[in-house]
Amino acid sequence: MPLSTKGRALAIVFGAAVGIPAVAQRRVELAAIDEYRRPDPFGSIVAADGGAALTLRRELSFENARGSYVSFHLIVKMARPGPYSLAIRFAGESGKLEADLFREWFHFTDSDKKYYPDALIPVAQPYESRIPEPDNRIPNQTAQAFWVDFWIPPDAAPAVYRARAVLKSEGASSELPIQLKVLPAVVPNDDVLLMDHNSYGTSWLADDYPAISGRLGDAFFQSDEFFRLIHAYHRIFYEHRGILHQLGYGHAGKVGPEFVPALEGSGRGRRVANWSLYDRHYGPLFDGSAFASTRRGARPIPFVYLPVNPEWPASFLNWGEPGYEVEFVNVLSEMERHFRERGWTETRFELFFNHKKRYMGFPWDGDEVRFPADNRYFLEYGRLLKKALPPQTPVKFVFRADVSWDMEQQFKDLAGVVNMWTASRDILSWLPRAPAMLHERGDVIWYYSGPPTVTLPASSITQFPLEGWMWGVGGFVHWLVVSAGSDPWFHFDGGSTALVYPGERFGIEGPIPSVRLKIQRNTMQDLAMLASLAKRKPLDELKSQAALQYNHTGLSDWWNPRPAFADQPTYEWNGSGLEEAMKPAMSHLEHIDPAAWARVRQYVTRLAAEEK
Amino acid sequence: MKTLVLPLFFLVPLVAAERDMARELDEVARVATAMVDGDTCRRIVTPRALQYMFKQDPRDPWAAGDNYEVNDEAFISVKKVLIRLSRLAPFPCDVNLWMPIAGHPDKVRVVIRNVNELSQFWPWGALFQDMIPQMKQVLETGHRITVTEKPGWVSVLAPVYNSLGDITALVEAASEKRLDAHENVK
Repeated sequence: MPLSTKGRALAIVFGAAVGIPAVAQRRVELAAIDEYRRPDPFGSIVAADGGAALTLRRELSFENARGSYVSFHLIVKMARPGPYSLAIRFAGESGKLEADLFREWFHFTDSDKKYYPDALIPVAQPYESRIPEPDNRIPNQTAQAFWVDFWIPPDAAPAVYRARAVLKSEGASSELPIQLKVLPAVVPNDDVLLMDHNSYGTSWLADDYPAISGRLGDAFFQSDEFFRLIHAYHRIFYEHRGILHQLGYGHAGKVGPEFVPALEGSGRGRRVANWSLYDRHYGPLFDGSAFASTRRGARPIPFVYLPVNPEWPASFLNWGEPGYEVEFVNVLSEMERHFRERGWTETRFELFFNHKKRYMGFPWDGDEVRFPADNRYFLEYGRLLKKALPPQTPVKFVFRADVSWDMEQQFKDLAGVVNMWTASRDILSWLPRAPAMLHERGDVIWYYSGPPTVTLPASSITQFPLEGWMWGVGGFVHWLVVSAGSDPWFHFDGGSTALVYPGERFGIEGPIPSVRLKIQRNTMQDLAMLASLAKRKPLDELKSQAALQYNHTGLSDWWNPRPAFADQPTYEWNGSGLEEAMKPAMSHLEHIDPAAWARVRQYVTRLAAEEK
Repeated sequence: MKTLVLPLFFLVPLVAAERDMARELDEVARVATAMVDGDTCRRIVTPRALQYMFKQDPRDPWAAGDNYEVNDEAFISVKKVLIRLSRLAPFPCDVNLWMPIAGHPDKVRVVIRNVNELSQFWPWGALFQDMIPQMKQVLETGHRITVTEKPGWVSVLAPVYNSLGDITALVEAASEKRLDAHENVK
């Protein structure tokens, strides 16, 4: 490589790098920056992540355990419009390491009239395009960002590997050397908690994939393409150390045909008539074959919503009468038998009620009970479920309740009936003993919130895995993650309900990931590594150090005091009171600095490096 | 109960399929007027919930929904009648219950919805909404009205009476020519 070109090959060493100033007038430059500082299309960092001009450095160097990803932003900067090509090449032996390259889409957000990179478009290497990127249509664009994932498989040989990012443009080139030191330690495949991603129904698939649904017309919802799409959505979350939930019924009990076995008859005659759509939908998810091609390997989904609601499988017309019980028990029994015969015994099947009175379908709240009288419906459904299942069934049924206002009382009143709880973040924050208490009696405890928007600091999303681990819960739910809005590409709403995007625009028949999802995945892998070190250090010490590094807090700072109003009947509480009660712990999470997780990772890596 | 009930058709002419659907739904709605008990309807939503319905608190924007409460006995009793009524039609339809709001003559609210999630008027999630002109007419005149404003949809609105002979509510017998099996599964 000629010296003049070498001089343009500028990079970073995360952690203890020596910075050198950017050379402003260079025609072609290749730069890199850590994952928590998102580039903008003009060569700077987005304001939410610091806003400074890119600090370019001489070398990129990483040290990571096996079974993990190494990620960073790679930025192509060109002073003038023109074509370029970009590729990542291993120098010498690559071992089993792989380099994935994603072009970052710059979303224009209407709220602040700024650009944020989030959607990640997988690209083949070398990637050939031009600046300004034609499809992103950004006036005066001078920089294009790429997300780089180096995958280090669990069976990679511990060694130092070298690679280069190579940028070429009209006779000039720029290179960025990358060194990866692979440690003997292996990140466990199991996570400290399940990162769950929620969605509703499937009608959005027809909207998000108009070419496929338009081509297939009425046949779309029963086509192989349709089920491939569903499985692709499960796969993308699984590959990013998460899971997907799809609720298959509406607030008045309407069920999507692919979420249920088809029924026939009524009363004593009600039975399953056809499993075809249900099995096409769920079979590959319950036996794990939908994940056979993934890096994490085939594995059945750990949890799934059942389609059971007050109107299915028993008609609400018969509620309170013998016919309701017969219809409910007979169909649930058939489902248990079907699952058992198919060997679907790894997944937990959730009896879960999502309806609310305010949507006028039913007279009680299944979701977020506020009025304690509603708990009697849970008791009745618990009785019906118990009656439907053989006592020693190997099929795992759970009774899930998503709880908020009345959760403290529900934990007592519904003990032994509900055994999976998805709690609101605010109220759980003042019940520090609840997770351990529920774990001890064999219950599952998760909590929920939503994805941070792209306008917040990139590191914001790291708070949920860390908080969940601090709290000792088993899972966290992003309540809606597939709804990117009517025009996420040029008029973005911020993405508080989206962590993936439809790929059809880019010729991909499936979802594409986001920067936020990648950051969350990397957080999860760091926590899995850290928690695995509990055999050497007390768990509380690991948690304390993580909290200290993250935002200079202690373990108690992650909980709130129980407010006085918690002793009042829940129907006397109000939303503003809840907001106030959340403030102490939330105040530590309001401004997550871009280096917060990098400090935690440094701590994790230091400990991992001591592993043999 | 008024004995003279005249079917009125809006936005004619209807195509043949809609005409058949409208005729069937009109029969459902006619029977609904006879079968649904307006006194029970008035007992469904609690006075407390109605108080909260119009409270505005910028610090607690969900207060109305969070305090929405019903008497389940009354709700279930009327809902079962509505389900039975919907089964009179030879195609999937829903019979929804709507009610005026005392002190708010320009507003109306849906009180019970059903399994097919069919309504020509309900914007998803609304606790109350602006009065629908055709509903106002039903409430004032007691006449059944067929509405086909939304392409492919047919709703027949019919009055519900209490023991004093007052119209306290109305039903919407609704269906769609081309049912979408995936809509509103959320």
